Amino acid sequence: MPLTAVRNPLDALADLGLTLPAGGLLTAVLIAVFAVWLIYTLVISYHWLRYSHSSLITSPAIFVHLVVSVAIMSYALTGSPVPTFIAP
Amino acid sequence: MKEFELEKGEHTVKSVRKHWFVFVLELLPYAILAALPLALPRAIELAPVPLLTIDFSSPLARTLLSVWWLGVWTGAFAAFTRYFLNLWVLTNMRVVDIHQKSFFHRDVSSLVLSRVQDITVETKGLMYSLLDIGTINVQSAGAIERFTIRGIPHPAMLRDIILKYVPNPDAAGL
Repeated sequence: MPLTAVRNPLDALADLGLTLPAGGLLTAVLIAVFAVWLIYTLVISYHWLRYSHSSLITSPAIFVHLVVSVAIMSYALTGSPVPTFIAP
Repeated sequence: MKEFELEKGEHTVKSVRKHWFVFVLELLPYAILAALPLALPRAIELAPVPLLTIDFSSPLARTLLSVWWLGVWTGAFAAFTRYFLNLWVLTNMRVVDIHQKSFFHRDVSSLVLSRVQDITVETKGLMYSLLDIGTINVQSAGAIERFTIRGIPHPAMLRDIILKYVPNPDAAGL
């Protein structure tokens, strides 16, 4: 049975109109930073959900964190704070 | 409450966080750090000898700036999380201090009101006096001898509320 190639996960970014800057080191740095951010986001969301006593501010706080982070990441990748999959 | 269970006949009287002004002061370094890279090119332009030019439209500068901002933003959000998750709860039986020291490091300590021996309020500085922000020290005869609540709004009012729930304040010398 012929082997089928596994899709590069980073190709998902291209589908969204995001491309990593050229240069191996820069790409590696960005991937590492985004991975750390992802772990940080999971940890901090856990703390909010576990210890905020079901406060009404929990969901807006996590939402604001995600929006600002995505805007910064979008700026890193495209030069615009609005990701291309949102912008008309 | 997940950190502590209310006992039979116990109810929450008041929950207190640090004053918003104290939180804004904690955010100030992050705001300065975020603005710093934007001020850098102008500062370089002012130098008598041309050193280098920073162009944020280049992918390298843009990426470095974004990484910097992402770091500052996560730090600021962690500060907000600490501010929100640090909480003092006054019940009719005790004061509970919930302190989020860092991620996965959370201290919950209680001070039973019947063991309170002395309560002092301290307000220092112009802004703290104007905004009525201060520190409450609760002296106790228990294992936790001193309980300090810093940067809270209306500390005198909170002291009065605590005193209202201390059983036999005269016997305790209050």
